[in-house]
Amino acid sequence: MSGPNRRELVYFAAAAIGLGGVVGFGDAYTVRIATLVGIYAIATIGYQLVFGRLGLLSLAQGALFGIGAYSSALLTMKLGLPAPVGLVVAGLVPAVLAALVAVPIARLQSHYVALATLGLAQLVLLAATNLEITGSANGLYGVPPIAVGTIVIADGLAMLGLVWALVLVALVVSRIVLAGGRLARLATLRDAPHAALTLGLNPVPARLGLFAVAGAMGGVAGGLQAHGLGVVSPAVTGFEVMVTILTIAVVGGRGSALGAVAGAALLVPLPEFLRFLDGSYLVAYGVVLLAAIVLVPRGLDGRLRERFPSRPPRLPAAATPARRRRGKALIVDGLRKRFGGVTALDGVSFSVPAGTVVGLIGANGSGKTTTLNLISGLERPDSGQIRLGGVPLGDRAAHHRSGLGLGRGFQHPEMPDGLFVLEAAAVGTRDRSGAMAALDRVGLAERAGALVSDLGAAELRRLDLARALATEPEALILDEPAAGLTGDERAALAVLLRRLAAEGLAVLVVDHGMDFLMPLADRVVCLDAGKVLAVGTPEEVRRDPAVVAAYLGQWVAA
Amino acid sequence: MIEAAAQLVVNAIALGAVYALVALGFVLVIGAVGAVNFGHGELVMLGGMVAVGAAALLPVDTALPGLVVLPAALAVMAIVGLAVAGIAYAPLRHAPPTSVFIAMIAVGLIIQHGVTAGIGPEPRLGPPLVDTGVLQVAGIGLSHQQLATIATAAVLILAVHALLQRSRFGRRLRAAAQDPEMARAIGIPVNLTIAVSFALSAALAGAAGLLLSNQYLVTPTDGGMLMLKAYVATVIGGWGRIWGAVLGAFAIAVFETLVAAWASFLVAEALLYLGVLVVLAIRPQGLFGEAAGRRA
Repeated sequence: MSGPNRRELVYFAAAAIGLGGVVGFGDAYTVRIATLVGIYAIATIGYQLVFGRLGLLSLAQGALFGIGAYSSALLTMKLGLPAPVGLVVAGLVPAVLAALVAVPIARLQSHYVALATLGLAQLVLLAATNLEITGSANGLYGVPPIAVGTIVIADGLAMLGLVWALVLVALVVSRIVLAGGRLARLATLRDAPHAALTLGLNPVPARLGLFAVAGAMGGVAGGLQAHGLGVVSPAVTGFEVMVTILTIAVVGGRGSALGAVAGAALLVPLPEFLRFLDGSYLVAYGVVLLAAIVLVPRGLDGRLRERFPSRPPRLPAAATPARRRRGKALIVDGLRKRFGGVTALDGVSFSVPAGTVVGLIGANGSGKTTTLNLISGLERPDSGQIRLGGVPLGDRAAHHRSGLGLGRGFQHPEMPDGLFVLEAAAVGTRDRSGAMAALDRVGLAERAGALVSDLGAAELRRLDLARALATEPEALILDEPAAGLTGDERAALAVLLRRLAAEGLAVLVVDHGMDFLMPLADRVVCLDAGKVLAVGTPEEVRRDPAVVAAYLGQWVAA
Repeated sequence: MIEAAAQLVVNAIALGAVYALVALGFVLVIGAVGAVNFGHGELVMLGGMVAVGAAALLPVDTALPGLVVLPAALAVMAIVGLAVAGIAYAPLRHAPPTSVFIAMIAVGLIIQHGVTAGIGPEPRLGPPLVDTGVLQVAGIGLSHQQLATIATAAVLILAVHALLQRSRFGRRLRAAAQDPEMARAIGIPVNLTIAVSFALSAALAGAAGLLLSNQYLVTPTDGGMLMLKAYVATVIGGWGRIWGAVLGAFAIAVFETLVAAWASFLVAEALLYLGVLVVLAIRPQGLFGEAAGRRA
């Protein structure tokens, strides 16, 4: 965690002026509105973790808010527990619920995430409206105010102070959750999910943790509202709360905690100006939400980031050049894979000894990328063995294979949004100087302080290679790393791959044709329709009659 | 007893026909642009309101009032569909699917609360399609409204089927849905095809709204529930599969009618949502997986 930057100072100055104005000049009514702003800010700071950081359009945050409200109200009313205990439980119950559903929900496709969370929210609403314990459609009246000993925090400035103190707590928690490189890892899990797995990032703890924290913040916000108003009705679990939180998040800027506070300050008072619409103020929320998503997709925080860009990270010195490692041989044996009725791989076997470069060639659809996906664990073989340094990889999850020494490069690398190059390169390692050394090796060191979004296509591929190298792999599998590169870049890449092999790595390189592999590879494996057609030195494979027949001599002519 | 059972079956079929119409409009947009129209239920509600308004303009004893206003509901809602496409989809063509989803939530909010602000939250009675009579068959009373609802929905669904299977528009829609880039490359006007899909989707929503408005009345808050049923229907029927969604919607209506008769409407709804959650937990790809050319 570093000190506040200029963008953050803008937020704090605005908050100080706003709250100062409310405390100094506001009447009781204004204080109530400012309190409500704080309550929605807390709920939305939590929501940003799921919506912004995990990238999941959850529609359950309103229901978690409602569960918190009912939990605290019921504990204080039926069991006579003190309100602070109620508030803690108001955070715990939704946190546990959210953690329970996090994993099954997060593995769904985006259009099912919304439906599943909406289904949960509907069940909560049905329960709140129909159960006797929740007071059915009438809800619960006479929720006691928050009291600590003899000090009653019922209303007015005391409640305002408590709520905004908790806003600050939520901001700090959100900051801690995203500290220590977690922001970069979460961005990679969100925007580059496949690459994240091959870099050793496990999505499950991140999802559990962020869902739980988001649920806790939503629940505490609901509990605060219950005690502040003295009433809980089924409406607190309804869609209105959810769309309010969603609109605040979009207007404030997706993912941004401070933007959530600013969004709440802009939107929560809105209904008060729209009293002539009666209960239909949500038409205004609809207009604001539509306008924001179309015209200002990055929200208020995005605008502020353009005005006050983040400082690039401090660039460490590159670690000393990699010492000679003992690489690990990569062996695949009898790999078979079918997709529906199509056989993609039909018994593929070959080996990549440590310290060598092996080329994997074949026409489109011959199974090259499928082979890499099976080796890296992104897909499971129907049968066959994969061994790295003698260790069978078959039962290992994709994100465990990086730790065993496997590195993977992609043909079309997915890249995280909003990160600096160094941060993106360091997601698979705790060691930024190692990442710096990896950037240096691929010739990207002088771009380490640039934003990933400012890189060109060829640079992105080098960054993809660098982030894999930063994990210090002992075997490296690359999918068409030379495609789209200029002649000089291809030569530099070939030199780098030869040097990696000389250090001991097993290097498997997929490519379309022979011209890149010819001077580079020790051996070449040619796939055709999911089977190994030929294996040998590049020269042997080039002259192999079967290869020539299958490809009509296209490489011989090249 | 038998009469009651027969009545139940007719109720289920009539409701299923309307749900199928709602789901058909919903899944057409998914097919065309891969986007969930979260405001589709509000389009159904708006269609019902248009029907109520148009019927009020008719002379008092017009024959077949519902069928007379049907073309108006279709036409007005087709224009609304074009507007939705222009305002909430077109600017977000290249944005992530989540952005379109959120824009559609906004459209739903605007329609629902705009209608409430404009004419109030009260339920309104739409025109009967034919009349309020009842046909007696072997001791079973079949209301003309239910029979006409089934017939009208069936005609509309078959017409859409013919349109998709036989016409140039249908081929273009299927091509654009499968691979928009390729479709554009071979000269298909993808944007026009998408706009027409939105118009057709909204027109079908309007027809569904009209069909519901007499027996169930129409209330500004009706939309969310209807959209959810269409959403669930697409999970049952396989994401993006048009006729799967139509059958799924029919199944939901039958399930709902039977469970509501056996227990209560509340139980039916709770079981429906629980069922969806169980399906998604066990089969994250949906009940029958994704149609070809899937997109998030």
